[in-house]
Amino acid sequence: MIPNFAVIGVETPEWHMPRLWIPLFLLWIPVILLSPLIFLVLVGVAIAARMTIWRVIAIFWGILSSLPGTHVHVRAEGNQVLVRIL
Amino acid sequence: MNENRRQILEMLAAGKVNADEAERLITALESGSGKTAGEFVGSVSGGNGSSGATVKTRAKYLRVLVEADEDMTGLKGPTTVNVRVPMQLLRAGVRLASLIPAQAHEQLDEALSRHGVPLTLSQIKPENLEELIDHLEDLTVDVDSRDECTTKVRVYCE
Repeated sequence: MIPNFAVIGVETPEWHMPRLWIPLFLLWIPVILLSPLIFLVLVGVAIAARMTIWRVIAIFWGILSSLPGTHVHVRAEGNQVLVRIL
Repeated sequence: MNENRRQILEMLAAGKVNADEAERLITALESGSGKTAGEFVGSVSGGNGSSGATVKTRAKYLRVLVEADEDMTGLKGPTTVNVRVPMQLLRAGVRLASLIPAQAHEQLDEALSRHGVPLTLSQIKPENLEELIDHLEDLTVDVDSRDECTTKVRVYCE
């Protein structure tokens, strides 16, 4: 499953940002529209790096689709950073 | 139907467990999703004398929890780190490493050994790394400092 939302929160002792829900699924619209161009760029990069284009796509797709469920929360010196991918 | 439930039903059909035992296993499986040991293993002895039937669920996430007080870190206030990484992401990351060009391996090896990690990347095969990640599911690390500093580190799969 591809990520649909990213939740980002940053907090410092002086400043508090409300948690941002970033709708990642909206990014798919420009990605689909630009897909022929992206594909050409990927082919160019793969040829330059002497890699198989399908392998590169498969690996990056694997990373992308395994991102949901990632949760990172760090708090130090009163500062907090939260990143969640849903 | 999920794989474990099917496995239990197959055990029931094969007569390895009776209906009560199958029900207990399914109940335990459903309630065992929040277990921290990385897996649930239900063990039953079969009604027909067979024994040792186990059901194993695969861990989905690697969890790292760190709590350290200011004496330990030198920072103001407590420091906490709470990271949950999907196991699938680790597997995908391992495959990403296979894209590193061979000519870069030497430079990487040098840089790693300079920083105290004597690794030869070319000798690490993707299947070794896959195996390593599979075995991570059995990993539980608990570090609890009892000195003046209060530090807790937990690494486990869930």
